[in-house]
Amino acid sequence: MDHAKDAAFLDLSSAAEAPVSAPPVRELADQRKVFADQIDLLFRHSPMGTLITIVVGGIATYELWGEGNNELVSIWCVLMLAVGAARHLLYRAYYRRRNDDYGPWLRWFAIGALASGAVWGFAGTVFFPAHTDAQQVFLSFLLAGMVAGGIPIYSAVWWVYAVYGLAIIVPFAYILATYGSAQFIELAVLVPLFLAVNISIAMRLSRVFADGFRLRHAYAHLGQDHSMLNAQLQEQIEELLQAQREVEASGRKLALFAERAPIAVFEVDPKGTILEMNPSAENTFGYSSTELIGRSMIRMLIPSDEPVLNGDWWKNFVADAHPEAGLRVRCRRRDAVELICEFSLTPLVNDVGELLSVITQCQDITQQLEAERLKKEFTSTLSHELRTPLTSIIGSLQLINTGMLGDLDKEMSELTTIAERNGQRLLDLINDLLDIDKIESGKLTTYPEAISLDELVRESLVLNRAFADRFGVRMALRGDPPALVVYADKKRLIQVMTNLMSNASKFSPEGGLVEVGLERVDNMARVSVEDRGSGIPPEFRSRIFGRFAQADSAATRQKGGTGLGLAICKRLIELMGGRIGFADREGGGTTFFFELPLMNQSAASSE
Amino acid sequence: MPATPLSRICYVEDDEDIQRIVRMSLERVGKMTVHVVSDPMQAIEAIKVFKPDLVMLDWMMPGMDGPTLFRKMRETPEVQHLPVVFITAKASSAEMDELRAMGAAGAISKPFSPKDLPDQLRSIWGALP
Repeated sequence: MDHAKDAAFLDLSSAAEAPVSAPPVRELADQRKVFADQIDLLFRHSPMGTLITIVVGGIATYELWGEGNNELVSIWCVLMLAVGAARHLLYRAYYRRRNDDYGPWLRWFAIGALASGAVWGFAGTVFFPAHTDAQQVFLSFLLAGMVAGGIPIYSAVWWVYAVYGLAIIVPFAYILATYGSAQFIELAVLVPLFLAVNISIAMRLSRVFADGFRLRHAYAHLGQDHSMLNAQLQEQIEELLQAQREVEASGRKLALFAERAPIAVFEVDPKGTILEMNPSAENTFGYSSTELIGRSMIRMLIPSDEPVLNGDWWKNFVADAHPEAGLRVRCRRRDAVELICEFSLTPLVNDVGELLSVITQCQDITQQLEAERLKKEFTSTLSHELRTPLTSIIGSLQLINTGMLGDLDKEMSELTTIAERNGQRLLDLINDLLDIDKIESGKLTTYPEAISLDELVRESLVLNRAFADRFGVRMALRGDPPALVVYADKKRLIQVMTNLMSNASKFSPEGGLVEVGLERVDNMARVSVEDRGSGIPPEFRSRIFGRFAQADSAATRQKGGTGLGLAICKRLIELMGGRIGFADREGGGTTFFFELPLMNQSAASSE
Repeated sequence: MPATPLSRICYVEDDEDIQRIVRMSLERVGKMTVHVVSDPMQAIEAIKVFKPDLVMLDWMMPGMDGPTLFRKMRETPEVQHLPVVFITAKASSAEMDELRAMGAAGAISKPFSPKDLPDQLRSIWGALP
C-alpha cells in the first residue's frame, strides 16, 4: 500500500519535470509529419490549379483561334489538356496510394508543375511573335496572371512554384528579348524580376505554411502529453482518495476497538493529561469523560504514595518512551474505593522521535486477584485440613495392621487392610490434585541435585516391590545398569518412578514380569519400565498424558489411581529438562520411558 | 553418629489423635520412651525436665508454630544442642532448606507411616554428627 503510493508520487514528479526540460515547443513537432502536411497541401490545391489551367486554356484557345495557325493552337490545346489530365491522374493516385514516403510524390508533383509551366511557356513562345498587338497584350497578361495565380497553388513548397514560374517565364523572356523592340527588351528584364518577387513571396508563404504545420504538430504532441499527465493525475488522485478512505475506515475501526473494548483506554499527553478515554474507562473509575478529559490521569486516579506512574517514574517513562506492560498499580475510584489495575503503556512517537501521546490501557484486576487469593487459600486449606485427619485414619489403621497391638481375626484384618488401602488412595488423590494445581499455576519448584540414576532406580525397585507383590507381579532390573549422573529433584524423580512402576504393576497379568532398565542414549540417560500387559488401546494413545486420563474407568475402580499420574510425570520430567514417552514392547506390552540430560555431559558442554 | 541409640523422644503436638498414634508407633513399634507436650508455650520447660535425645515438632500449632518454637529453642542454652525433627503436612522445600540451615535435623511429612516412623527417626539420628 505504502509502496504503491511512493511509486505514485515518483511518477508524478517525473511527469511534472518532463515539460520543464523539454526543447522549444516548435521543435517538438515531427519533421516528417510537417513535410507530409506540405505535400498534402500541394495536392489539395492541385484540382483547383488544373481547373484554372483548363478554363484559362479554353479562353486562350478561343482567343487565338482563326488567326492562321489553327493547327498549332490545336496541338497546344491538346497538350494542355493532356498535362491537365496527367496531373489529375497523379492527384487521384496520390489519394489512393499515398504512404509514409512522401518524397516521390513531391517529385512527380514537381514534374507536373514543370509540365504545366512549360505548356504556358510554350504558348508565350509560339503564339506571341505571330499575333497582333492586342493579342500580344492578352498573352502577356495571361502569362503574368498564370505566374501570379500559381502562388497560392504551389507555394506550399516554394521551389515547386519556382520550377513552375521559371518554365513559363524563361522562354517568354527569351522571346521578348529577341523580338527586336526596345520596349520588349525592357519587358524581358522586368518579367524575370516580377518572377523573382513572386518566388520570394512563395518562399515566405512556404515558411509560414511550414511553421503553421510545425506548430500544429507540436501542440498535438503537447496535447498528447497533457492528456497523459491528466490521466496519471486522475489515477493518483483516485489512489490517494482510496488510501484516504482506507485510513478513515481503519481509524473508525480503531475507534470502535477502543470504544467497545472491555479494557479502559486513555490517551494522555506526555504530561499525563488525559486527551481521550473510552466508555470502559468511565465504568472502571466511575468518572464521566467530561470530568477527566483535560485533567491529569495520575493526580486523578493514582494515590500519591503509589511508586509506579507517579513523579519520577513518569518522567523516566516519558524520557525513555519504551512500552511498559503488566504494571500492577493501585488506583482510586471516584467513590474512593481502591482498585488494583494492570496497566500497559504504549508511547506514540513520531518520525523524529518526539513523544506525541501515550496510549494507556488498564484493567481492573481487583476481583481476579481476590479470586486467586481465595483459590490459594482453599488449596492450602484442602491440603492441611484433609491431610490431618487422613494422617490419623491411615496411621491408626496401619498400626492395627502391623499386628503390634495384638492379632486380629482374619475378616477384621481384611477390612482394616481395605480401609487403610482406600485411605491411602484418597491421600494419593489429594496429593496428585495439589501437584497438578501447583504445576498449572507455575508454583511447582523442583530442587535439583546430582543424582546417581542407577542408585535411584535400585531404590525405586525396593520401594515399589510391596505394591507389585499385591498384584502378583515380579519386578526386576534389566542387566547391570551403567553409573549415570543426572541433575534432578530426587523426591520428584522417585515420584515419577513410583508412578510408572505402579502403572506397570497394575496393568500386568498376574505372575507377569516388569523390567526396569537404565541406559545411555547419546547425551541422555534413559530409564524404561516395561510391562507385559495388553498394551495401550489406540484411541487412548493421544490423551494418555492428559489429566484424568484412564483408558477404562472400570479398571480405575478395580485397580485404583486418579488418572493424574502420567500428567504429573510428564510435567515433572519436563520441568527437569527431560522428556517422557511410551512405545509398544515387542512381544506384547508397553514400555514407558523418560530421558534426562546427563550431568557430566552438560557440565562439559557448558565449559 | 551419636554413641547411644535413640531412645527418648519429646513430641510437641496439639492434635490429640496424632499424639496417640505417634506415641503408639514410637513405643510399640520403636520401643522408645515418648513424652508428648500439647502446649507449645510450655514445651521448652518440659524438654528441660524430660531431657530427650531428640525433639519432634509439629509445624502448625495454635499459639506458637513449630518454626518459632525451634528458634526459641536455639536461643535457650539448655536445649539448643538437641536435634529437632519437624513433622509437617505443609512445609515447602524452600522453608525446609531454611530450617536445615538453622540446624534442623530433618523433616517427616504428614501423613507419615506409623510403621516406618521409628526407622525414619533412627536414620535421621544415625546421620547426625
